[in-house]
Amino acid sequence: MIRFILADLQRLQAGAMIVVLLVAFATALGMAVRIEERALRLGSARAADRFDVVIGAPGSETQLVLSSIFLQPSPLALVSGDVLKQLSEDPRVDHAAPVGFGDSYHGYPIIGTTAEFIEKSGFRIEGEGRNFSALSEAVVGARVPMAVGDEFSPQHGLAGQAAEEHHEMSYRITGRMEPSATPWDRAILVPIEGVWHVHGLGLGPGEEGYHDGHDQHHEHDDHDHDEEHDHDDEHGEHHIEAGHLGPPWPSDMPGVPAILVKPRTIANAYQIRGDYRTETAMAVFPGEVLTRLYATLGDARLVLTAIAIGTQMLAGTAVILVTMAHLSQRRRQIGALRAFGAPRLAVFAVVWSELLIVIGLGVAAGIGLGYAGAKALAILFARQSGMALPVTLEMSDLAFAGMLLAVAALIAVVPAIYAYRQSPAAALRG
Amino acid sequence: MLDLEMENVAVRYPDLPQPALDLPRLLVPAGSSLAVTGPSGAGKSTFINVITGLERPSAGAVRWKGQDIARLSEAARDRWRARNVGLVMQEFHLFPGLDAMENVLLPARFRHPRLPAGFRDRAAHLLAQVGIGTGRRGVETFSRGEMQRVAIARALLARPGVIVADEPTASLDGESGAAVCALLTALAGTEGATLIVVTHDTALSGRLDRRIVLTGGRCTGDSAMEAA
Ligand SMILES: Nc1ncnc2c1ncn2[C@@H]1O[C@H](COP(=O)(O)OP(=O)(O)OP(=O)(O)O)[C@@H](O)[C@H]1O
Ligand SMILES: [Mg+2]
Repeated sequence: MIRFILADLQRLQAGAMIVVLLVAFATALGMAVRIEERALRLGSARAADRFDVVIGAPGSETQLVLSSIFLQPSPLALVSGDVLKQLSEDPRVDHAAPVGFGDSYHGYPIIGTTAEFIEKSGFRIEGEGRNFSALSEAVVGARVPMAVGDEFSPQHGLAGQAAEEHHEMSYRITGRMEPSATPWDRAILVPIEGVWHVHGLGLGPGEEGYHDGHDQHHEHDDHDHDEEHDHDDEHGEHHIEAGHLGPPWPSDMPGVPAILVKPRTIANAYQIRGDYRTETAMAVFPGEVLTRLYATLGDARLVLTAIAIGTQMLAGTAVILVTMAHLSQRRRQIGALRAFGAPRLAVFAVVWSELLIVIGLGVAAGIGLGYAGAKALAILFARQSGMALPVTLEMSDLAFAGMLLAVAALIAVVPAIYAYRQSPAAALRG
Repeated sequence: MLDLEMENVAVRYPDLPQPALDLPRLLVPAGSSLAVTGPSGAGKSTFINVITGLERPSAGAVRWKGQDIARLSEAARDRWRARNVGLVMQEFHLFPGLDAMENVLLPARFRHPRLPAGFRDRAAHLLAQVGIGTGRRGVETFSRGEMQRVAIARALLARPGVIVADEPTASLDGESGAAVCALLTALAGTEGATLIVVTHDTALSGRLDRRIVLTGGRCTGDSAMEAA
């Protein structure tokens, strides 16, 4: 009987292929939407997890979060350096670190921050490496293809733009971070002072020649923190001393695009968010911003899910139609089986199992296709953003596929019953 | 070897004014052969369906060796037919993709989860008798005459007490038709089966013990009556 079913399926190849493709496509779509959506949630939540409060200049909260946590290049307005100084001296704050962008190296964004941030934000430095401790030192993320000891000169411009090299400044890599599956894996972390320096903002370690060749002022320069002219006046104390990096900050320092703040307690987090919602600053909880973003994306997901369900229903209907059309062609074949004495149940079993085999193949192919599709999307996404989307096949996905199969098994009963009830006399009539 | 006794058999269809089949009495002795002829629409296929249990008559008894199959359930008729009837049809109803041997064994495979011992040898023997080799070639590549000979071997596999054929030569050319005629009558003889054949083929009907003519569902001619 199995041989008969296989021979039958082989004979019906064309129709079977159509059904397999239909089912595979419908299953894959549903699978991919499920997998990708979960991966995006998980991946972004994971990335946002390490950061409690983000403070920037007033503007788009989403953009602030996307820029500071997902390191998406975008021209953020700067928040005054005083805010950073205040925060880092605030007893409610465990640590507060600036995030400064601007330059890149072969597409990898160079992020200016503090050594303290790397230590305290849960990034771990691999093996022999160590944190940066001088202006010309850098720590790279796990996806940056450079090794400890390598040297490089940053290229001007945001990641992804054509760039000229800043030959005057070069960094030596002192450490690599362990993978965090976040966009920070693509980042090159350097002392924020270096970023300021390269763009002629603020002062490096008090050397006269420090600003040479840095007249190309960034759009951020409108903040009055250029130090070129007050270099010789009495504000000498805000010059960062040679070799001194990170906090305590001088009283008059350049603005930064974003500040990542780790409060000591949850209550402190709420206080700080309240305190820094002012005319000049905006404090947000990244998790909250993401949740709001999901809500917006939720509509898109709903549409996708609806499309997937619609496709599945269409596929189901098409399968029934194909099968029924095909069954009426098979009336005589089925009648003949009965005429030779095949029991009705055997006829039912033949039709049902043939359909189930075909649909099962479709669902299996659909799982593979959906997973591969989700994976491919995730890889593309990770290459672009550095954020790993954890594409996983979970029990619930298999349960989902199992549910599709169960529905299909039920649907397949319809033609099988039709075949079961068919009169065997049909075999003899023309 | 089975004898057939039909009594007051009528087959009525809802949208037909008179019965498609109306046979007050028909006896077919065990081991004899009967040809059924008649114009199109006369009820010949209906007759076949009724005597093989494919269709239940609206009234009357169809007794094979005393057992009235008109009173059996559908499943029981299927079982009875599998055991007792060898069917040969105008359309051969062979299953493409399977070779001759598998086609001959197919009805048995549907009845037995495991093929009983001896079926394979029996099938090979029958195929040899109808002059078909046991190659692995799918039957869809066979000629029509070869296909009908495979169908005859299939009909005989379970050593049925009766062989029933509906226009077995109608879709064959003269030569293969003649071969099929010869095989059917010869094999029914050696197997000791009752043979009932619907046919327009006079060469075939001429070889059989008795001929009846159906017209409008009624028996309008019977060689046994004329002889008497
Ligand atoms: N299921 C049915 N419902 C209604 N009428 C039917 C049905 N089956 C057969 N008939 C009618 O019964 C009559 C006898 O049909 P049958 O098939 O037995 O004729 P036949 O003698 O085999 O004809 P042919 O030589 O063309 O095969 C025909 O008029 C046919 O239209
Ligand atoms: Mg007919």
